[in-house]
Amino acid sequence: MKKIEAVIKPFKLDDVKEALNEIGIQGMTITEVKGYGRQKGHKEIYRGAEYVVDFVPKIKIEILVKKEQAEEVVNTICKASNTGKIGDGKIFVLPVDDVIRVRTGERGADAL
Amino acid sequence: MTLTALKYKKIENQIDNDSAELIFKRKELIEQFVNRKEFNSIYIQELDFIEPYTRIIDEYFQNIFAKSKIAKEMTLKGNPVAIVALGGYGRAEQCVHSDVDILILFEKKLPDNTEALVKEIVYPLWDAKLETGYAVRTIKECLTMAWEEFDILTTMLDARFICGGSHIYSILMEKFRTKLTNRYTHTSLNRLIEQSQKRYTDYGDSTYLLEPNLKSGHGGLRDYHNIVWYARIVSDIKCRRDLEHYGFLSHDEFKTLENSLNFIWTIRNMLHYIAGRKCDQLHFEHQVELARILGYKDNNGHKAVEIFMGELHSKMDFIKQINLMLTEDIQLSKRARIFTALKRATNYKGIVVRERRLEFDPVEMIPHNLDLLLKIFVESGRLKKPLSIEARRVVGEFSYLIDDKFRKEPSNVEAFEEILSYSLWEFNVLNVMLTTGLLAKFIPEFSLIINKIQYNQYHLFPVDKHSIRCVQVINSFRESNTKSSKLDKISGSLSQNISSSFDESNHQNHLYAEICKELRNRKTLLMAALLHDIGKGDPAEEHSERGSEIARKIVMRSGYSQADIDEVVFLIKNHLFLIKIATRRDISDEETAVFCASKIEKIALLKKLYILTVADSMATGPKAWSGWTEALLRDLFMKVMGVMKDRELATKKAAKTIQRKKEEVLELSSSIALREDSYSNDSTKLLIDEAKLLKELDSMSHRYLLYVSAPEIVSHLNLYRQLQNRDFLWKITSEDNDNSEIRTITICGKDKPGFYSKLAGVFFLNGLNIVGSQAYSFGNNTALDIFKVMPPKDKIFEKEKWQKAEREFQQALNDDSFLERLTDKLPKTIAPKSGHIPMPNEVRIDNETSSFFTVIEVFAYDFPGLLFAITNVLYKLGLDVRVAVVATKIDQVVDVFYVKAIDNGKIDDPKRQEDIKSAILEALPLITN
Repeated sequence: MKKIEAVIKPFKLDDVKEALNEIGIQGMTITEVKGYGRQKGHKEIYRGAEYVVDFVPKIKIEILVKKEQAEEVVNTICKASNTGKIGDGKIFVLPVDDVIRVRTGERGADAL
Repeated sequence: MTLTALKYKKIENQIDNDSAELIFKRKELIEQFVNRKEFNSIYIQELDFIEPYTRIIDEYFQNIFAKSKIAKEMTLKGNPVAIVALGGYGRAEQCVHSDVDILILFEKKLPDNTEALVKEIVYPLWDAKLETGYAVRTIKECLTMAWEEFDILTTMLDARFICGGSHIYSILMEKFRTKLTNRYTHTSLNRLIEQSQKRYTDYGDSTYLLEPNLKSGHGGLRDYHNIVWYARIVSDIKCRRDLEHYGFLSHDEFKTLENSLNFIWTIRNMLHYIAGRKCDQLHFEHQVELARILGYKDNNGHKAVEIFMGELHSKMDFIKQINLMLTEDIQLSKRARIFTALKRATNYKGIVVRERRLEFDPVEMIPHNLDLLLKIFVESGRLKKPLSIEARRVVGEFSYLIDDKFRKEPSNVEAFEEILSYSLWEFNVLNVMLTTGLLAKFIPEFSLIINKIQYNQYHLFPVDKHSIRCVQVINSFRESNTKSSKLDKISGSLSQNISSSFDESNHQNHLYAEICKELRNRKTLLMAALLHDIGKGDPAEEHSERGSEIARKIVMRSGYSQADIDEVVFLIKNHLFLIKIATRRDISDEETAVFCASKIEKIALLKKLYILTVADSMATGPKAWSGWTEALLRDLFMKVMGVMKDRELATKKAAKTIQRKKEEVLELSSSIALREDSYSNDSTKLLIDEAKLLKELDSMSHRYLLYVSAPEIVSHLNLYRQLQNRDFLWKITSEDNDNSEIRTITICGKDKPGFYSKLAGVFFLNGLNIVGSQAYSFGNNTALDIFKVMPPKDKIFEKEKWQKAEREFQQALNDDSFLERLTDKLPKTIAPKSGHIPMPNEVRIDNETSSFFTVIEVFAYDFPGLLFAITNVLYKLGLDVRVAVVATKIDQVVDVFYVKAIDNGKIDDPKRQEDIKSAILEALPLITN
């Protein structure tokens, strides 16, 4: 099993969600996150006072899938979140040791 | 088995029978209660559960006590026992899963066999799974503990005799009264108030919250208990009815109270029943079911659950108001001794301050001076003094006299505007105006949203309260100029988890205060804030649109100027615009900001819309407002502001030019289509599709539409349409006048990093001298670059030369290393033409001109390959060239690049800026003399 974490621009969430639904992915966890990459925030000036945006708001999507499905999911997110411009985000794929469904105690792929 | 043992056994059986009877009767009663065919308001009014249920429990105690051998023994030994009901059970208001609280009372001394008695009468209740609490005390213990712990004092206030030695109970109550409540009335009352304050902070205001606590929240049953306790401390009331008989409440007030209580009790009992346990917090999961059970139906677009919750809130609000009034009474009666009946005049004849409360004096003035009804709120806000209970009643009673003539009177409109601006966080005039009913009389449209619940996870408050909160938030921005603590209060009253994000944004509050300070005409903003959700009263339509129509009528009636009317309407219609854009559009795209700027047009209006958006979100609740949303929204605001100040792309003039150009393009393309119809060329056919054409034009950047001529746009569009799946397409044209030595190459292609620098490289490779260039982003993900190039010196094979360049460009796109060694061919030094004293090379970095791009300006001495030298450096540094303007003046070249860093932002880091500067300068050849 794989866990796919994607950090995307907030306004792309709907597109990504829809695209994932189309390939049959229904469950995902969405978090509003803030962060910065190479560029350490930016500042705006209003009437002489500086307002620093330390962290840029982004959306983090987490999805658990079977190993075979990971590639398709990654490609789908990539395609849907791509605005053609740089800075569209990053996708991480992580191995998952086990999954347990609390209610039934099911394990592994059955619990997905 | 001996005879005595047998006897005991028999008694034990009887005891079991008693609890079995209790269980049976309780079950029967509950079934009867929940299986009613329907719960209409009459049923609720005649709620028949809590008292019968109390009686069943009483019977149990009486039966078991009568049979108790131990109790008899105690009486015989001269130390009798009394069983006393406490708390809710004492008030005979027992709900399905309420605790049964009893006091086992002795006069002076606890007998040794007390434990056996407890076992006998309490244990069966536990076995019957009734939560039972008991205390065994002597009279003296009771009094000491009641003195020490206020909770015990209040349960004692509800004490009710059940069975046993009634005289012990009488002694207790007598002593309780003479030694405690009569002697320390004010201390007790003070503690009562303190305790409620603490409860409000712990449980919040149930009249606002969407998941209210039926018991402990503000407006919950505990507020009613407070009223009873208060009455019992100061007088000697026996039952609920006495609240009216002793003059604590008027007849109408008591009737409404009864009605409200029965409603809440019905819900509480039902909630206990469906939850299967004692549960007083009305969670979402139970609301829909309760609404269904109680027979609420969807009506007119309003959901059943929303109607149900709306009714609940209004009932709770009533209890809350009654409690508040009595609390004020308590505080007043204390001060009354000091301040006596001294009265002070206010700004208006007919309104006085007495005992720190505003009152009408004399009341008879009102019918002839109806404006006093509004003026008293103006004074209340100005002096920060509340209206007396009597004054509130008077306002409520006279408000029916308010008519359209009153509403249109300019001085009344002005008074109302004053009230709006006085509505502060800690002193809420508008809320009082709402509860007296005057607000809905002055703005009848407001009644549509009173207690209107929005059944979703975002909204914590009914629409009317939310609207008032929104006004308050805006006023607090103004007030909180230096202190940010007031705004923290808002978060505090919302929920704990939001306060962290508020801490982080104290700095932001300063920004809101700054902006508010700059606004000149605040009345339109406050009016829009109060009315922004007024459209929610009509669920059939989109509420912003509908609300702006309703509001238009209101402000027209109020005699607002056309400009002000337009502003209020615009603000309401677009109160979700910024937040939608901020969360659903790419705010790092300049076009987004230009789009917003062209829609809003005026900077002052943008500021108002921004403040309204922030206040609206803050007043909604923590789910709608977090540091995350705040950051997005502020970023958008700053960028739109930047575009507006820039006065280049979003001005009216620019909008007109663009509009004209679009029309021109349409015209041109249709005429071309007509002219070339005979050829029935594919590309021209495409151009006649007007809708498609308009859509394409809309996707182009404002910058492009503003600076490129209509015929050029048509030819670019043509190229764009033929592009299809190709990497790029280019087109070479000669300037119109034949003698010209300049070729224009227009390249349309899939944008990717390095596109522009590779083009410059290919021209350099082929010895084609670039004299000018422009780069644009064209539609979605497409680059459009225009190069002005000197033709090859050898014109015989010009066509072949261009074809070679085209092939090489394709190679360069496919293979990043194709142009790698080209940098070696760049000159290391150049000697200026004789007679010229060249300016030194210079690179300027400007972050202020644009909110979106870092602008890099390069001043350099011209040489073949200059553009490639610069753009190659930018590409290698990971900068994306979005707009480029390259122009040559004699030998000095001024190249301007609008670039973005790899993560789509500007380059703010000074060190990085220096690196860019020096990297560009290094790539330029030295000038030798």
